[in-house]
Amino acid sequence: MNDDAFFDDHQRRTIEAAMARIIPTDDRPGAREAGTIDFLDGYLAGIDRVYAKPDGSGFERLDGKRAAAWRQRIEAVRKTYLAGVEEMDRRSRARFGGAFAALSGEQQDAILTELEQAAPESAAELDQAQATAAWAPVEPAMQQTSAEVDLAFLPLLALHTRQGFYADPVYGGNRDRVGWQLIGFEGPTSLAETHAGRYTTRPFFAEEPIDWETGDRHGR
Amino acid sequence: MAGKRKPDRADVCIIGAGASGATAAKVLTERGLRVVALERGPWRTKESFGGDELANVNRYNLWPDPLLNPRTHRTSADEDPSVELFCPVPQMVGGGTVHWQGWLPRFTENDFRLRTLVGDVPGATLADWPITYADLEPYYSEVEWAFGVSGQAGANKFESPRSRGYPCPPMPATRYGRAFYEGCRALGYSAFPTPMAALSRPYNGRPETVLSAFAQQHGDPTGTRSSALSVFVPDALKTGRYDLRPESYVREITVDGQGRAKGAVYLDADGDLLEQEADVFLLACGAIESARLLLLSRSGRFPTGLANGSDLVGRNLTLHEYSAAVGVFEEPIYAWAGGGYVAVSSYQFYEHADDRGFVGGCHIAAAGVGIPLPINWSLPSRPLWGAEAKRIDRECFNHSFAVGMVLHDMPQHDNRVELDDRVTDAWGLPVARITLTPHPNDLAQGRWVIDRNAEILDAAGAKQTYRVYPDRITGNCSHQHSTTRMGDDPATSVLNRDCRAHEVDNLYVVDGGPFPTATGANPTLTIMANAWRVAEGIAARRGAPGAD
Repeated sequence: MNDDAFFDDHQRRTIEAAMARIIPTDDRPGAREAGTIDFLDGYLAGIDRVYAKPDGSGFERLDGKRAAAWRQRIEAVRKTYLAGVEEMDRRSRARFGGAFAALSGEQQDAILTELEQAAPESAAELDQAQATAAWAPVEPAMQQTSAEVDLAFLPLLALHTRQGFYADPVYGGNRDRVGWQLIGFEGPTSLAETHAGRYTTRPFFAEEPIDWETGDRHGR
Repeated sequence: MAGKRKPDRADVCIIGAGASGATAAKVLTERGLRVVALERGPWRTKESFGGDELANVNRYNLWPDPLLNPRTHRTSADEDPSVELFCPVPQMVGGGTVHWQGWLPRFTENDFRLRTLVGDVPGATLADWPITYADLEPYYSEVEWAFGVSGQAGANKFESPRSRGYPCPPMPATRYGRAFYEGCRALGYSAFPTPMAALSRPYNGRPETVLSAFAQQHGDPTGTRSSALSVFVPDALKTGRYDLRPESYVREITVDGQGRAKGAVYLDADGDLLEQEADVFLLACGAIESARLLLLSRSGRFPTGLANGSDLVGRNLTLHEYSAAVGVFEEPIYAWAGGGYVAVSSYQFYEHADDRGFVGGCHIAAAGVGIPLPINWSLPSRPLWGAEAKRIDRECFNHSFAVGMVLHDMPQHDNRVELDDRVTDAWGLPVARITLTPHPNDLAQGRWVIDRNAEILDAAGAKQTYRVYPDRITGNCSHQHSTTRMGDDPATSVLNRDCRAHEVDNLYVVDGGPFPTATGANPTLTIMANAWRVAEGIAARRGAPGAD
């Protein structure tokens, strides 16, 4: 479970095409330019790329129960992806007469929409999943994110595309920080910059301090 | 025991080294007592933390891994529980304070007498606290000055009397804090800088806090934020009397022939089973895990769990659901500045008022939307994928913030922690099963406060607002209280006013479990102040012959 990649060529092409519809390219880069497929393929390859070292000098080696949990999680997520690729191709052939990767962008959108509508077993489950997931159309995740083993294929794909687009580039996506540039996030130049305490957001605070009125009260 | 020697008996054994356990350890060791702390999680140093949103927010680098430490949840006893990461708190030395941004407001005088103030609420088990604000005030002050809290006394029109101000001035104003302040001012509301576990200036030999974007839900690689790990653990270690053992998972508290707590049976890092004896035991695992440990500790004398003859251990669970109104603005807000939670607060709706149609009130404050970092930021209207989702990311990420609320939920007899009869953790022990349904008062309060929060955003100039009403309690706030309530009557409380178990006279609980009511404010300052108070009481009584 420790190669550099997990998908075969067809699976990789299919998922990359789907990701390019999740965050499409327009006048600005999308999932394709950010390399979100590399982010995902590396993640699914094993447990060697779960946690970057905090100074960016490589990846943590997991052991014991933690490693076992991650093996279990990656295995579950792999199954979701393999079944997802088959499902996309099956629906694509039935509706448009070709494999997903060969369809037009609009046709691919139609297939993804089908999957989105078909995925959850009940509306209540969808609400619950969305409320606790990071992508949350119903409401933003206020404090905690979802357990990805619980997500159906399409929400999982959307989550990983987002992660690959916006995570620190050390994980293989967000190439040249195109994700951060798109939204105007002035992040650090490297994990090492934050680790050493050199990264600051002070320039993005208010320019004027607040003049707090403290009244004529006790204990100042 | 694989040939290991039984550990030497300690004066005090504290289960847990988070906010409450580390506070108690500091006080007890500084009073000359020898403390052994058994912490189930790792002892991580600041060098192991980093600015990595994916690892920290999405991949359980600090959160408990739900595959190893699951909980189960259901809304009523008729339902099949589902396995969930319900109300998690990091399990490590420092606990939740390792990854928090640390809002540290005080409670007010009325928080300690809500039942007297409003009477009985049908379906709720309201109770006054057996202690008052005045009892706790000296300890609030101790914690604020030992820990290093940045704030401004007097700015909150509704605060209760203070013996002294804050040791550090408020943190610098963020744009989201400033916009909230302007909105409040336009409406005539009192606002104040959220007191924070961060240093606005060098203090006690510690440097000013670094204003990274990776703060809320991230450990601090610079060690400049105030946490149990960065302040109270080092204070306790300095005494030479703090034996802190990480990766030591307590599975049972045993009792002797007199029914007093005798030993903490734990698995050490090597997987060996050991028993730590002590004169006094403090549970500091968080209100859910402390209740679970009591329920796991069954004996002939306590067949339904230690100190649980009243059947109250685990009941009355309160959790402070976090919800918010969200505003989108023309001008840039940069809600990730400082990590999204260098905040401004208001207690305008904190105190109970008879004309609102519900009991209680709560703390509100300006913050980023959820975790306002690239991966985890979102807006309520945002679709899951496609061009529109990308457009919203692009146009709104830097132009939005939330006015959040800390729901003051009502204690209810049947909202409770029990042991799950089917699901076990990775160590083979039954997990905590949460049964919980919101009280109608919770939902009414949530709707009313979110509407007010949206009005503040409007007054601050939002071009669009969204109202996220809390319509269920998911435990998303990671605040836990009331599972071992303190009180003067053993028939209605688990602990006495010293937070000592009515049924076991050398057993204390010092986390949020002793809170009779949730109140509407972030609990950790009060948890630490109360732990300080309880520890002082233990130390003082040990000075007297025959005590403890």
